[in-house]
Amino acid sequence: MRLSLRWKIVGGYGLMLVLIALLGWVTYSLFASVREVQRTVFNQALPRLVAVDEIVRSYTAQSAAVRGYLIGSEPLLLDQYEQEVKVSGEWEDRAARLFGSGDDRELLDRLIESGSEFHQLVDRRVLPVAQRGNRSQAFRVLAQDGTPLVSQIGDVGQSLRLAQDQDVAQTEEDLSVQSNRAVLILVLVTIGALIVGAVVAIALPRRLVANLDKLVFAARAIGRGDFEQKIEIHSGDEVEELANRFEEMQSGLRRLQQLAAHDRELEIAAEIQRNLLQLPVPASSDFVVVPVQRQANLVGGDWYDLELSGSSLTVVIGDASGKGIGAALMSTVALSSLRAERGLGAAPERIIEQANKVLLDATAPESFTTMIYMTIELPKAEARWLNMGHLPPYRLTRNEEGEPTGHFVDGPRNRVLGWFDDPGYAETASDLRSGDRIILFTDGFVEAKSSEGELFGEERLEASMLRYAPLSLSEMGEGLVADVERFSAGKLDDDLTMLIIEYRPGVTHGPERAGEGP
Amino acid sequence: MPQSKIDIDISEQNGYKVVRPTGDLDVYTVGSLRDAIGAMIEGEASKVVVDLDGVPFMDSSGLGALMGGVRRLREAGGDLAIACTKEQHLKLFTITGFGEGVSIAPTVEEAAAGFKN
Repeated sequence: MRLSLRWKIVGGYGLMLVLIALLGWVTYSLFASVREVQRTVFNQALPRLVAVDEIVRSYTAQSAAVRGYLIGSEPLLLDQYEQEVKVSGEWEDRAARLFGSGDDRELLDRLIESGSEFHQLVDRRVLPVAQRGNRSQAFRVLAQDGTPLVSQIGDVGQSLRLAQDQDVAQTEEDLSVQSNRAVLILVLVTIGALIVGAVVAIALPRRLVANLDKLVFAARAIGRGDFEQKIEIHSGDEVEELANRFEEMQSGLRRLQQLAAHDRELEIAAEIQRNLLQLPVPASSDFVVVPVQRQANLVGGDWYDLELSGSSLTVVIGDASGKGIGAALMSTVALSSLRAERGLGAAPERIIEQANKVLLDATAPESFTTMIYMTIELPKAEARWLNMGHLPPYRLTRNEEGEPTGHFVDGPRNRVLGWFDDPGYAETASDLRSGDRIILFTDGFVEAKSSEGELFGEERLEASMLRYAPLSLSEMGEGLVADVERFSAGKLDDDLTMLIIEYRPGVTHGPERAGEGP
Repeated sequence: MPQSKIDIDISEQNGYKVVRPTGDLDVYTVGSLRDAIGAMIEGEASKVVVDLDGVPFMDSSGLGALMGGVRRLREAGGDLAIACTKEQHLKLFTITGFGEGVSIAPTVEEAAAGFKN
């Protein structure tokens, strides 16, 4: 049976109270028995004895007075007889009240009846004969019929006395039995109270302290980083409940430990990804390029690649579907394949075809990668790219009035990599004017959600790009990221990656001069 | 704030299953749709229409789950079509090129009419 600690304590003390109450009841019973004896002896037996003795004595006295009167004719003795008749009558009334009913009452009634017969004998047959002068005749009648009645009264009185003695003896015996029983109960209850008291006062706290010691030991082990300590407590109370919660906490801490280890592995993965992405940004007198990246998680699916080879600048941006390690691995596969093929001097179409093949083989049917592979031929002032299911790039330029203007360059579309056998290899081209900016970005910018669930969208992105057009490339990138973060109240679910390229042929660019605006 | 709950209702009509997710279909919820489609492949329900009318937002994870479903069902001899009227989703299908390889139509019936296999 499971008992809470509270109920154990309440139960222990409750039992003690019950035992104390039992002690009280036994003591009360003992006193009640003594009082019963007292009542039997002093209120019943002794008055009865006195009454019976008085009645017997009175009749003996009456007999003696009548006898004396018959012998000596003393009127005083007749008065004495009359006086004793009253006395016996009073004692008989009193005795009738004391005896109530039962065998003793029958004896008393016999005694009173004998007394009554004696009075009738004296009053009707003895005294009238004596008063007529025939004293010897009266004496004979008294001796013949009166003496046996007085003797009978004495015998009945003796029986009543014996009965009272027996009542007293019985009561004393009852008292003795009750006393012995009460003493036995007192001893047992006292022993019981001592045992319960010992359990409540010693065993319970000792077990409680022992269990708490186990918890303290486990807590110290946790402090040392040891979450494996077993806590064996089966007390069935709140302490066991606490131990169970403790074990849950240990389990939670073990999970946290595993997560921390997992985080360390993620850190390593993130560092690998950073090292792959953060190549030296190419620089030339004909362009400035600034990568901007905010990752929602430690690792993600957004990636980019930049390479200047002769007068040709390659700009690649990609976004692997999903998030986390899976997306990061896919982006690493895509980037590695891309660089390997480019290192062999392959044309963009071939590079993309090979990346698609590698991704098809390496990734699950749910995974795909979008990408823009752009080549800017600097002397020709021309950008050409293959859009593999990615959001179109934005071209920021100036109108004839010199004001910033731009548009999403939405040329022929191809399909994502890693899903289709033939994703398509249609190319888009755009001329570049000095000061033009080409902005490539991932879907994190347009799919950023406000707390109301509204998307940032292309219109807001375009408005922000135009607003930041007069600023440097870095300031523009930071401004765009800040706008998106503000819109989503700082709760970005997806990575933000952007590449901003400014075409400025023949201008020597330093970081401080980069981005004077188109 | 990422939502982690999506309700997916599955019914059957004219010999194909109709899957109606309700809620954002993103990295946090996409597992439910993937599991539902996976269960249909195991249960040999080879033709499935996913109705996106109850999906206000879908990211690349959600799109990936749909496209993965298309490929797996086709490998099992069936197909997956998409009923969708939301411009935002249709744009995503267009940009990624998935719209060319999969039957996408405004109603479930029209989408089902384009089943391959």
